[in-house]
Amino acid sequence: MTAPGEGIAFPEFLASIVHDMKNSLGMILTSAEETVGACSSLGCPSSKRLSQMQYETKRLNNNLVQLLTIYKMDQAQYTVHITDNAVSDFIAETILQNRPLLDYRGIDVVTVCPDDLCWFFDNNLISGVINNILNNAYRYAQDRLRIAAEEQNGFMVLTVQDNGSGYPESMLRSTEHDLKGTSFRTGSTGLGLYFAALVAGLHKNKGRSGYIDISNGGELGGGCFSIYLP
Amino acid sequence: MYIDLNRKKILIIDDFRDFRKGLKNMMESLGATGIDEAASGDAAIEKIAAVSYDIILCDYNLGDSKKDGQQVLEDAKHRGLIKYSCTFIMCTAENTMNMVMGAIEYQPDEYLVKPFSKEMLLNRLEKVVKKKMDFGDIEQAMQRKDYLQAIAVCDRRLAEDNRNRFEYLRLKGDLLLKVGTYAEAVSLYADVMAIRDLPWARAGLGKAYYLSGNLNDAKEMFQSVVDDNVTYMEAYDWLARSLEELGQLKEAQEILMTAAQISPKSILRQKAIGEISYRNQDYDTSEKSYKNAVSLGKNSYLKSPSIYTGLAKALVEKQSGDEALSVLGSIKSEFRDDEGAALQAAIGQGIVYQKMGREEESKKAVAEAALLFESLPAQVPAEVVMDLATACFSIGDTDKGTQLMKELVRNHHEDEKVISKIQGIFTDMKLSEEGAKIINSTRQEIVRINNQGVRMVEEGRLKEAIDHFENAAAGLPDNKIIIANAAQSVLLYLQKNGRDDHYLSLAGQYLAQIRRIDPAYQKLPKLLELFRSVAEAAKQ
Repeated sequence: MTAPGEGIAFPEFLASIVHDMKNSLGMILTSAEETVGACSSLGCPSSKRLSQMQYETKRLNNNLVQLLTIYKMDQAQYTVHITDNAVSDFIAETILQNRPLLDYRGIDVVTVCPDDLCWFFDNNLISGVINNILNNAYRYAQDRLRIAAEEQNGFMVLTVQDNGSGYPESMLRSTEHDLKGTSFRTGSTGLGLYFAALVAGLHKNKGRSGYIDISNGGELGGGCFSIYLP
Repeated sequence: MYIDLNRKKILIIDDFRDFRKGLKNMMESLGATGIDEAASGDAAIEKIAAVSYDIILCDYNLGDSKKDGQQVLEDAKHRGLIKYSCTFIMCTAENTMNMVMGAIEYQPDEYLVKPFSKEMLLNRLEKVVKKKMDFGDIEQAMQRKDYLQAIAVCDRRLAEDNRNRFEYLRLKGDLLLKVGTYAEAVSLYADVMAIRDLPWARAGLGKAYYLSGNLNDAKEMFQSVVDDNVTYMEAYDWLARSLEELGQLKEAQEILMTAAQISPKSILRQKAIGEISYRNQDYDTSEKSYKNAVSLGKNSYLKSPSIYTGLAKALVEKQSGDEALSVLGSIKSEFRDDEGAALQAAIGQGIVYQKMGREEESKKAVAEAALLFESLPAQVPAEVVMDLATACFSIGDTDKGTQLMKELVRNHHEDEKVISKIQGIFTDMKLSEEGAKIINSTRQEIVRINNQGVRMVEEGRLKEAIDHFENAAAGLPDNKIIIANAAQSVLLYLQKNGRDDHYLSLAGQYLAQIRRIDPAYQKLPKLLELFRSVAEAAKQ
């Protein structure tokens, strides 16, 4: 038995456990998806509960992925992998990943994106950010979502809006998206926004860095999340 | 788009049974029926060799100290087991994603980060099918080594298709480097970097500098790539190569060792560390790295006899002569019916026995090597000939050693790297001055022969030039400059005088010969183009 302080460092130990947990979750997620798919077509009475389960699992998975990525960035093991992406394809794929849940809640998604808009970003990281936002929408949106992308002064702005009740006042007020807003009472950890801000900041071009912005109102009157990538 | 998975032959590779099962269920729910499974890289290769799959889904991590997904892909592609239309998707955990994307030569068609939904999987499969349609003609031209044609297609696409613009630019950059138009490559990469500072553009710029002999700029460029992108593995290898050529062997070794720590499974990198640490007289590292290369190379196309002889050389320096001999002995069983390997084993024995002070056995082994060398029909790599010459010198057979060196100079008279290595060996053998004289006079002899032929071509005496170069080429099977000029004189004759089947086939043989010696030879694309136009004209 290795005494504390010897051998493998504790954060590393945690990271490898998180990694293992994530693998298990991945398996659960895959079976959950199969089961939900099979159940809903049979009109099974448990499908509502199953879909709730699927949502929670996804949330858990997103959190773990974000934790791991943050850990790796901290350890300088993560290199941002910037590629040229067709933004409309990217949005379509992200929606596809969340389709089952959004369908289940009957949320209608509208995409507004020029066909020929291509932009440089780390597909994996940004997809993590948007996945997280869409997963939240499952809980907070009423029945409508609007995802829009456009170029604005040398930035690509990706905006996700819903017709829910919007972000709480406390979140809107904090300009720094750090982890200080963690609240066990409300269940909001702020991890998602922290991760999004971190990822945005890793995107740099010609001396400019990416950033995020949240507000309420917008086209649908609910929460409005934007990520700006240079 | 819709793809029909029914009747498609599909292979799932993952070391975890549950993952395989999950993926299989997913594929079946998408309509797939013909699904095979493999639990290890070796098992996968066996299956791929037997069945021509349409879709391969491969996990990157197949267990510690085992072949990983990237190696499966490399092995299968290198052996030509995967047809172009086959879709190869690499599944990764996000922590290995970067590693996978920093892979050197063979890239999978797509990546999928676990966990993924079946919609995602289907989406990726469809994406690959579309990409294969978009890039098919470029890939096929590249497989034919028809690089100019591939560049032309890239240009056409760049003019009409904005969507995959950077993908085409990246490909075109690689191709420009392949055909040796470095200035054009530099300006392409600079243009890309003016839009966006992308690591592949920086690395490309470094390669263009390196290949045009601008080693200091190359070094700086590759250094900046690895500073900003820790897992861009290819850049480490290029950085080490630049350092090596600048004579900074210690630094080169350090860089390679850093790279091997990040990505330890590359056989070629382990071998490179073995070589360079041997030169740095760091025999412990050399032994360790060669041993890694040996064990990684089991069942891999990348295993080579030179890994074994390298290991033997390191071992004998560590006074482990007997182990060195047994390593050399294993070459026979590892490379059956391979005379080139037997030659290398014999040379290795000559050197090892010599170091052990067993003179008689050393002489016997070198004599056997010399006999094998004479009887070998195929061309022997320059490094092996140098080793043989070294062994001859070390047993006191200076005549044979000198003769071998002369042969090498004749075949590589304009290759500065080979020439400087030859000079280095002469110097080690305390034959520095004699060596320099031999090198100079031999080089002059070949230059004279070449110039005579070139003059004949310039003066329009093409028939004479053809005979002249044909004679020269017969004695210089590895001299790409002479053979390229032989090909050119034949092609110019055909261009002027029209159809002649004998000459056309002769030109084809010369081109094949150049391709064998150096597929990236600068003059090759132009000659191929000339060949194509002459052959076209002959058809009419």
